[in-house]
Amino acid sequence: MKQLNRLPNAGRTNPDQNINFTFNGKAYQGVMGDTLASALLANGVDVVGRSFKYSRPRGIVGHGAEEPNGIIQLGSGAATVPNLKVTQVELYEGLEASSVNGWPTINFDLMGIMGWFGRLMPPGFYYKTFMYPQKLWMTYEHFIRKAAGLGKTPVEADPDVYDKLNQHCDVLVVGAGPAGLVAAREAAEAGARVIIADEQSEFGGSLLASTQILNGVSASQWVADMVEQLKRYNNVQQLPRSTVFGYYDHNFLTILEKRTDHLGLSAGKGQRVRQRLHRVRAKQVVLATGAFERPLVFAHNDIPGVMQASSVSTYVNRYGVAPGSKLILATTNDNAYQTAIDWHTAGRDVVAVVDSRQSPNGELVEQVRALGIQIAVGHGVIEAKGGKRVRAAMVAPLNESGSAITGEVKRLPCDLIATSGGWSAAIHLSSHTGAKPVWDESIVSFRPGDSKQQECSVGACNGTFGLRDGLIEGATAGAKAAQLAGFGLGAVQFSPVELVELTQEPQQALFLVPHSRPPSRAPSQFVDLQLDVSAGGIELAVREGFESVEHVKRYTALGFGTDQGKLGNINGMAILANALNQSISETGTTIFRPSYTPTTFGAIAGRDVGELFDPERYTSAHRWHVEQGAKFEDVGQWKRPWYFPKVNETLDQAVNRECLAVRNSVGILDASTLGKIDIQGPDAAEFITRMYTNSYLKLAAGKCRYGVMLKEDGMIFDDGVCACLSENHYLMFTTTGGAAGVLAWLELWQQTEWPELQVYFTSVTDHWATATVTGPNARKVVAKVCQDIDLTPDQFGFMDWRDGTVAGVAARVFRISFTGELSFEINVPANYGRYVWEALIEAGKEFDITPYGTETMHVLRAEKGFIIVGQDTDGSMTPADMNMDWIVGKNKAFSFIGQRSLSRSDTLRDNRKQLVGLKTIDPNIVLPEGAQIVSDPKQPIPMSMQGHVTSSYYSANMGHSIALAVVKGGLNRLGDTVYCPAADGATVPAQIVSSVFYDPKGERQNV
Amino acid sequence: MSNTGHQPRSESPLHYGLTSQVTENASSSLVVREIHQGCHLTLRGDSGDTQFAHAVLQVTDVTLPTKPGTYIRSGNTSIYWLGPNEWLVTAASDALSLESALRQELKGHVAVVDVSGGQTQVNLSGEQVGSLLKKASVYDFGSWAEASDQSGRCTQTTFASASALVAKNADGSVDLIIRRSFSDYIMRWLLDAAR
Amino acid sequence: MLQIYCPHCQELRSEEEFSCGGEAHIARPLAPETLTDEEWGDYLFFRKNPRGIHHEMWYHVTGCRRYFNATRNTVTYEILETYKVGTQPSIVGEGV
Repeated sequence: MKQLNRLPNAGRTNPDQNINFTFNGKAYQGVMGDTLASALLANGVDVVGRSFKYSRPRGIVGHGAEEPNGIIQLGSGAATVPNLKVTQVELYEGLEASSVNGWPTINFDLMGIMGWFGRLMPPGFYYKTFMYPQKLWMTYEHFIRKAAGLGKTPVEADPDVYDKLNQHCDVLVVGAGPAGLVAAREAAEAGARVIIADEQSEFGGSLLASTQILNGVSASQWVADMVEQLKRYNNVQQLPRSTVFGYYDHNFLTILEKRTDHLGLSAGKGQRVRQRLHRVRAKQVVLATGAFERPLVFAHNDIPGVMQASSVSTYVNRYGVAPGSKLILATTNDNAYQTAIDWHTAGRDVVAVVDSRQSPNGELVEQVRALGIQIAVGHGVIEAKGGKRVRAAMVAPLNESGSAITGEVKRLPCDLIATSGGWSAAIHLSSHTGAKPVWDESIVSFRPGDSKQQECSVGACNGTFGLRDGLIEGATAGAKAAQLAGFGLGAVQFSPVELVELTQEPQQALFLVPHSRPPSRAPSQFVDLQLDVSAGGIELAVREGFESVEHVKRYTALGFGTDQGKLGNINGMAILANALNQSISETGTTIFRPSYTPTTFGAIAGRDVGELFDPERYTSAHRWHVEQGAKFEDVGQWKRPWYFPKVNETLDQAVNRECLAVRNSVGILDASTLGKIDIQGPDAAEFITRMYTNSYLKLAAGKCRYGVMLKEDGMIFDDGVCACLSENHYLMFTTTGGAAGVLAWLELWQQTEWPELQVYFTSVTDHWATATVTGPNARKVVAKVCQDIDLTPDQFGFMDWRDGTVAGVAARVFRISFTGELSFEINVPANYGRYVWEALIEAGKEFDITPYGTETMHVLRAEKGFIIVGQDTDGSMTPADMNMDWIVGKNKAFSFIGQRSLSRSDTLRDNRKQLVGLKTIDPNIVLPEGAQIVSDPKQPIPMSMQGHVTSSYYSANMGHSIALAVVKGGLNRLGDTVYCPAADGATVPAQIVSSVFYDPKGERQNV
Repeated sequence: MSNTGHQPRSESPLHYGLTSQVTENASSSLVVREIHQGCHLTLRGDSGDTQFAHAVLQVTDVTLPTKPGTYIRSGNTSIYWLGPNEWLVTAASDALSLESALRQELKGHVAVVDVSGGQTQVNLSGEQVGSLLKKASVYDFGSWAEASDQSGRCTQTTFASASALVAKNADGSVDLIIRRSFSDYIMRWLLDAAR
Repeated sequence: MLQIYCPHCQELRSEEEFSCGGEAHIARPLAPETLTDEEWGDYLFFRKNPRGIHHEMWYHVTGCRRYFNATRNTVTYEILETYKVGTQPSIVGEGV
């Protein structure tokens, strides 16, 4: 298809390199250097989408991040990307795009009928209509979402690769327009580490579409020279296609770099990084993010063919595309006259310039006059006419303030209306820092507020719209930023850029072009094109009583689209101010928050996906477990064997077998994951005694003791065994999940409260591998591989430990037990962990030694009523609640951590939830863990909750199910029957029993 | 210490992680090598105590680094600053002999803890090292001065989703000292990041 | 994402290396058993939570494993100083 609107002057595109693409299923051709927007305009595609609420046809308005209408879905399948702006998609061969709005097609839109009901969809429509009846919301939501065109989320796994880079720099320059480029050069020259990022495919910003001469060369040549200069500094990192989308505390900024998107979907083929998230900590930031032209608001200003004046110039000069043939330029300022010149130079017809000012005479205005172009001064375009394309502009004379029509309305035929209401500084990033934007009447724009961080704004984003002033500001800021970061003396090193700039006369502040009818009666005057917010809608919100700008925004949805109101917000606020009869400053300001433009989830996830999502911690015998076919359980970040199924065994079968093996012969458990803290120092015993509820002052070398650690509120925090290795030297075991927390807890008290206690803590969790050999035959197994420890019970008793040699490896052997059976916990340096493990398996063969996992460990300890901190406790349980008062030292000299809390009125209550056993009346029913407990299942709702099940298993050793539970006053209710609801709706009766099911006297471990 | 027929087999933390996918050829932009140091000791003591520093020097032949974020090296023995009263000593010798020598010489409130089985040292070299560190950690390694054969910069910091002690060598390569249980994860992470 | 100067490492380091330990300078009562429930409750549960200057503990968990204190403005998130445990802040908020 012929590209009707392609100009002979190709701008920065390469007209010899054709690129094929499709839009809404139809094939087109563009050229290298096009964006999807410029290619569509070149092909004369007017309608690119349908509006959010009224489903009106919409065309391309802008040329960058501000575009409200051209929102598309790129590609299909796993790599499809929703909600991209046509102005920001670089064209590549084979590109496939479709409108996200428009159902079923953008040109024949069933939803178009919604437009007829426009009067029925005022602001707050959703609140007013779809809220009631509430049960219909699901129906409404489906309808609204379909109509809203939010795009399609890919349902398959993302085939692309993303990563993150943590960057540090002295000066981050955001935006590579003229001000940004000179700022970066000055900072680089001073020796600072500089990063300069720009969201466009090439550096240059506004200069890429400019006809300005700088230093005697064209704007694009000057940009190319600057880029070359910057390349010569090895302290400068240039990041094109990189959007700085967030500015956070302490000068931390995030940049989304698109590395392969311009080459096509999944161009990285799962190998090259598609998008990279730069997490930048900058000493100083120079914001040079430019400005957005403000559209004029008039009736039916949303018809395709109404565009931003600067965008028209950009398409002509940069892309060699003229988006129409007969132009009317509506303006309030001199600046936009350049568009008339550019259009005229391109050989197209300028029907008229319509200027709201009464007598503009600036130099650019005179140039246009000299070209013989008709200028209607003191006039405004009050309405556009047309359906799917502008056919005419209704032009009327305005009074001096631009608030009223003073004469006859004329119809001027045209197919393009370019509008300019002046420029709004892009204060978004400065606003992210919490700086409150300030309205400046003299430039009819917000300016960045006082800096809250180490940053400054330069050029247009600072409200400095002149090129010469922007260049000076940029250079000065670059040198200054470098100096503040510790480089150079802050003086500008390069001579100023030479250029001739035309003088401009003041613009007129005009936020709503009047119509012959008031906004409430006039055809819609659109403020926010993406969300169909009109001037009449804002005024209606005021009539309905809204006064705060934040409320009006939410009520009307102004600025809530994917463009975040980059075009509409200022006009909307000014219209609101006018309706409230107050100034813009009084009306308030608008706070922008991250992200500046939408960011993909893939980039935010980076490489933290799949097997790298979270670290997997392995023990030294991990590979052995894998080879034996163990099933694993995540315990914190550790991978622990859960159970070791034999062929065709289910979890239950394997666990029953493992449990019986331990109680009847011998089992072996990899306990390496337990936390281990080496404690040394003359005050070690005193310190440990302060941390546990019981005393360690008299614990002799070679002995171990079980301890419970409380938080200061008296609640159980961790438990484990502590062994005295030698005088002033202890080894503390913690739970697997509690290891890091306990170490931090010990350090906290030593460092901040008792620095006078001489004690050092070192984590040795990773150094030691631990194999627990447990069961009646445990001693026989250990004896086969350990000859230098006397294993006889009177020489090596329960809760003793010994140094020795196991399978030829220096080891520490502890007689501690979590199963209630005769147990040896064998600790060896982890490099020998697998070797010793295998030696124990070999030694245990004649006793059918059975490796078991965490599930069997849980069952065995529950049979014994041993608690697991974090499972049977939840941070609200005291030792007494756990029926463990025996472990609380009542006569310790020092008030241990948590002791005082044990006598608070609340912890002394006799109806606290207490640990008990539950035995179901039907021995085969295993209660669900977490099940609630009630005393009377017939009690009307709300029933009084008595507690909950904390642990529940089938015990092969007991021949029935067992459960641990916390029940209000449970220790005084032994023998009572309570009831638990099961998942299937049934109620399971159970009897409260002792929490120790097996070997209540504890004889088996002490042999 | 070995008795009756046992021939203990030692496996480094990267016994499985590196053997399967070692990337060691000269043209590679990232070379990962495990450096087997038989001895990793955590040393605690008062850096202001000159007798302590003197004794450490006597036993290890390495000056105790007291400047934060630095290490000092002599031959195969290095001492890394970990905190104001905490150091890591690595050496090629076996841990037991150095541990007992230090215990012998050091007086007062000190601690020597053998952590040799709990960690390992990995050397990273090649042109990708700089960008790899940027991917791995929030620390600003770019601010470090070049190292000499005798001393250089080191720091403990986050590394991927784990942590590591990172030290820069005179040849521009970087040593990581990582915990055993995280070593497989870190190796997988390195190979992924370097592709 | 804060940046915190560790007085032990003597460097600005990123927040990811630290964990916050809550309000600083809360002395544990020397004789807890002599306190009333209310007095003990005050020590246990009540914190200043000021709008503005706040002294708080930070733990350099993936760095030097030392606790230290910071004076932070809870409104602006500015960290005005950090100082070692056992020393006093030089910046004090109103009404503290």
